[in-house]
This record gives sequence, structure tokens and C-alpha cells, in this order.
Amino acid sequence: MSAVFGLFGCGLLTLAAVATGLRLQRFPVSARIAVMLVAALAVFAPFGDLSAAAYVRGVTGDLSVTTLVLAGAACVSGLTGRTAIGPRDLRGLFWLVVSAAAFLYPFALGWTRFDPYALGYGSIEFVTAMLLITLAAWHFRQNVVVLIVIAAALAYLAGAYESRNLWDYLIDPMASLYAIVCLLAAALDRARSAEA
Amino acid sequence: MPGWSRWALLVAVVLAFGGLYFRIFAAPPPGGFALPQAATRAAASTRPLYRQQLLPNSAERSVHSATAAEISGGRLRAFWYGGSREGAADVSIYTSVYSSVEGSWSPERAVVTRESAQRHLQRYLRKLGNPVVGRDRNGRLWLFFVSVTVGGWAGSAINLMVSEDEGETWSEPRRLIASPFFNISTLVRGPLLQFVDGTIGLPVYHEMLGKFGELLRLDAEGHAIRKTRLSWGRSSLQPVIVPRSDTEAVGFMRYAGDPPNRVLMIRTSDGGATWTAPVKTPLPNPNAAVGGVLLANGPLLLALNNAEENREGLSLASSTDFGNTWRIAHEFEGDSSSPQPPMREYSYPWIMQDEAGDVHVLYTWGRTRIKHVHFNRTWLEGRR
Repeated sequence: MSAVFGLFGCGLLTLAAVATGLRLQRFPVSARIAVMLVAALAVFAPFGDLSAAAYVRGVTGDLSVTTLVLAGAACVSGLTGRTAIGPRDLRGLFWLVVSAAAFLYPFALGWTRFDPYALGYGSIEFVTAMLLITLAAWHFRQNVVVLIVIAAALAYLAGAYESRNLWDYLIDPMASLYAIVCLLAAALDRARSAEA
Repeated sequence: MPGWSRWALLVAVVLAFGGLYFRIFAAPPPGGFALPQAATRAAASTRPLYRQQLLPNSAERSVHSATAAEISGGRLRAFWYGGSREGAADVSIYTSVYSSVEGSWSPERAVVTRESAQRHLQRYLRKLGNPVVGRDRNGRLWLFFVSVTVGGWAGSAINLMVSEDEGETWSEPRRLIASPFFNISTLVRGPLLQFVDGTIGLPVYHEMLGKFGELLRLDAEGHAIRKTRLSWGRSSLQPVIVPRSDTEAVGFMRYAGDPPNRVLMIRTSDGGATWTAPVKTPLPNPNAAVGGVLLANGPLLLALNNAEENREGLSLASSTDFGNTWRIAHEFEGDSSSPQPPMREYSYPWIMQDEAGDVHVLYTWGRTRIKHVHFNRTWLEGRR
């Protein structure tokens, strides 16, 4: 079952790349739907033993809920021409993802004895910190963050992926990289606007 | 968002986190090491036994990284990888069975090919690498093997198959998740450990940017459910862990740092929950894997390349004080009077004790064959 979820996620990411890369919003609705249907067929249909989604999965592994939500939003945006997640929600999500990535990835490379990834196997301190962050997000109406955490927790409890580590359901390097790039781009835009 | 849905969201938060807390509190506390059983089968002979032979290799130009486990009838089942060269797409995992009665190995057969693994894993794979075999407390054989999708060995991930019929047939491989960074850069080489709570300990190491060891704990289905760092930094890999009680164990690691090049050692006294920082032993290490085993009622043995710069010899070191002091008990290779392979490299030793108390060492012999040395306690005691 985890292979199905994993392949679906990698396929969704590929479709999001197609929707964003082609800037589907420029085309009529019927063309957008046709392009996405053809792309879905190409992504999920097996060529020999493997589908294109399986090749993506070979490189990325199973994708976090954050990446799935962002990929899903990109697909919806490409199909409907409307923004699926508002800029305020996105900004809050990106800051949280970048902060979590800065905490997780450098230590995961073995620089010190401390290993934050090990916390994801079931640590009261880690879950409590997550709960406090989620309650703060709820208080400040960062609903996308709250929904992602809920979905990640439920997927983790259901064992939807091969991983039994909560971190893998929350973030991955794809989401982290995307969040950094978007925040940098936004900062650059603000700097240009200030100069103008 | 309307008011009711905002409160519904909060209820969902409470339920989701309730589930997370329940999972943590319901998990049993980790148990200590379960020691291998002492000799349960009568030794075949009380006379000194020292037998050496090459394992069959009918097809492959290059073989490496042997591993073995005892199976029913006092036999051994070994695994290794072989292909046109290390890292080639045609590398497969092979197996063969040794009968200590007949003293010979069966013809080898492939158990995992790159194509079969990627089909079952539903992921593209570029090459296969190190296998490690062991047994769980229910008697099943677990075979771990490394695979790479992109790049070199630093891009490795670990896969697992299970056999309930002593390695004749295997479950489909599944992926072990052990790293948050695209799950890459986790490799296996050291033997499995058993814990009294039924979990399996799998020593692993990372090679991307850093080189360091970790100990994974796996549940009965082979999911990583806990992880402990054995070392950190950029110079230690391929941990081998040898327990001597439910709380105490010593670990050895290959050293990849600045000279002097020595085998690294770590210790735990709390069942593997925490480990001392790695220290250099007096034993040399040319950036090569070592194999270790604690004999029942006997010395701690380490199979290693007894040189700082090359793998042209392979020796047996013995310690009667659990790793504090060592002496070289034997040289498996290095004596130029014995037959030499074209490429003089002896590496990746795997050492184990069977239920009759005999010791088996398997290692890469000139990259073209796997060699097996079988000796008994009587022979070893004569080496003093």
C-alpha cells in the first residue's frame, strides 16, 4: 500500500512541475484539462517495469505531506487559474519549513552526536514542541500549517509510507528547497520595490 | 474560515496529537542485547580443524562483501555481490550453502538482481551493493542489501527481504527508511544484533559529506523504529557491534581519517542507548572493514587487515579482556607461499561462530573470489 501512496505523491509532484513549467493558466480550460490528463497518463503508465513516477520516486523517495499539499496546490492553480493557497498562508508555511529544515538537515549529516532525526521515531519532547507550534499556528490562523500537521500525523499513525519517522511525513528536502527559494525571491522582490 | 470550522480544526489537532502521544506511551521500553546462544550442537571433532577454500564463482569477474548465517543442519548460507565490476549495473546478490559435513559449497545462484529489485521496490535502481544476512528471534533469515539510484555509494539506501525457509525463497524486497535526506547515504556491512524485546539491531553507516555510524532498531516487520548515533564526523564507518551481556557491548569501526590509521572502538554499558566517543585501538586499519565476534566462553576475535596502508594481508586478532589488549593469533593471508590472486587484496572479512562452536571467516579474495576459512576451538587454542 505504501508503494501506491508513494507513487501517487511522486506522480503529483511531476504533474505540478508540468502545470507550473507550462504555465497552464495561459490556455483555455479544456486545453488545461487535456494537458493534465495526457501528463497523468505519461506519469503513471508503466514503461516496461516502471512508470515515470517510479523513476522520480527512485530519486526523491516518498514525499512529505507538505510537498504533496504544495504540489496539489500547483496543479489546482494550473487547472483553475486561481491561487489555491493565499500568500499569507504560504509565507507562514515557508518560514516554518525553512526553520524545521535548518534544525534537521545539518545535524542529519552527522556533524555532531545530536541527531534530531531520531526524535521523529517517537519523542515526547518533539511531539510536544510540534503541538505548541501547531496551536500557535491555529491561534494566528495559519490554517494550511495546521492542516498539514494534522494530515502528516494521521498518515504517520496509519503507516501510509515505508517510514516510521514523523519527520518524513512533515518535510522533505524538496519542500525545504522550494520554501527557501520562494522566501529569497520574495525578499528580492521587496528589496527591488523599496529601491523603486 | 467560519467559526465552527475553526473549532473543528482545533478538535482535529487534539485528536491527531492524542494519537501521537498514545503511540509514544504505548510503545514498550527498549530492551537490552540478547546474546547469541552458546554452543548447542556437539562439535564435529576435538582435533584441530583448519579448512580453507574458495566459494564457487562461475560467472562473475568481480565479487565482494561476503556475509553468512548458520542455517538448519549446521550449514552456512553465504551471500555476496558479483558482476562485471563493483558498481556495475549487472551486479547481483549471490548465495551458496556450505555443508560442514561434506566440507564443500553448493553452486552459487543469484537471489537479487537489479531488475527484480527495482520492479518490486517500484523505484529505479542503478546498482546493488553490500548484503548483510542475519536471523531474528523467530528464526527467520533477514537479508539486507544496499542499492543506489543516483551517484556513488554515498547515494545508497538499504533494502530488506525475509525468508522463512532458510533462504530458499524470499519475500519481495522493501525499502528501509533511515535518513531524512532523500533517504540516501545509508549502508550496511556489520552483522545484525538481537534485542530481548524482539527488535533487531542493524549497524549502519553514512557516507554523504560525513562518515559516521548508527544503530537502527527494527520492528518485526523491518521498519526502523529507533536510531542511535554511534559516532559522528567524517572518519568512521562500517560499525561492527559485539555484545557480551544485555547491557554491555563493544563496537569497532573502519577509520577513514588522518594518520595514524587505527581501528576505532566504541563501548556501551546501557544496552546500546548511549555510546562512548570512538577511540583508536592499537590495531592498524588501512581504511578497510573489520569483522568481529565474541566466542562463547572465549576470546573476542577481530578479522582485519593488519596494516595501515594496504589490504595485502588479512589477520586474526584475539583479545581476552574484551578489547583492551590484543595479540595477532594468525595470518589468513600475507604469506607469499600460499596461492595468490592476480590482485593481491584481501578485504571485508565476515567472522562468526556456529552452534557447534566452530569459527567461520569469509572474505574477498583478490576481488575475484570469496574465500572461506573454517577452524575450531582446538585449533585456535593451539595458536597461543
